[in-house]
Amino acid sequence: MQVGKEVPGFTAKAYHKGEIKEITLSDYRGQWVVLCFYPGDFTFV
Amino acid sequence: MTAVATRYDEIKALGVEVLSVSVDSVFVHKIWQEQELSRMVEGGVPYPMLSDQGGEIGTLYDVYNGSVNVRGRFLIDPDGVIQAMEVLTPPVERNVSELIRQLKAYQHVRETSEVMPFGWQPGKPTLKPGMGLAGKVWEVWKPENAF
Repeated sequence: MQVGKEVPGFTAKAYHKGEIKEITLSDYRGQWVVLCFYPGDFTFV
Repeated sequence: MTAVATRYDEIKALGVEVLSVSVDSVFVHKIWQEQELSRMVEGGVPYPMLSDQGGEIGTLYDVYNGSVNVRGRFLIDPDGVIQAMEVLTPPVERNVSELIRQLKAYQHVRETSEVMPFGWQPGKPTLKPGMGLAGKVWEVWKPENAF
């Protein structure tokens, strides 16, 4: 994992606006994406 | 999470999509949204919340520690190339203003090939790389511009 290199692709289930969806990163090609990992729901920060 | 949600309109206006990822199931995301996030931010979190239950995506991005994904943030350009990343251990959250600054900076770079000096903020001068600038950055960018 390095800056300036292509991102690894993936597909995952997602919760979005009340629905369960399937998200594939490569579908976002052509636009900017911020991918944010965090430890867990219901944590304090 | 909610800081990004609060400034989502500003991020969206830059043509940027946000995806969050944790090891929780989509059902836990739903309950968290309904029970807590929607009380912190009007309408709740507006972007897709991905489920990475085995830490497989986290492993791909080198942020999975064996039980959870630590705080990794990746800025991906329209070609699918990582332009910036920031990884923090769990106790300290990231700064959404810094995220927006980096997005504006990288978008400007992509449009103009100009570069951003240390401490650059939107609205401040940018630099045009070239032989003429070599050794003369001090003439156009002062340390006090960074603050």
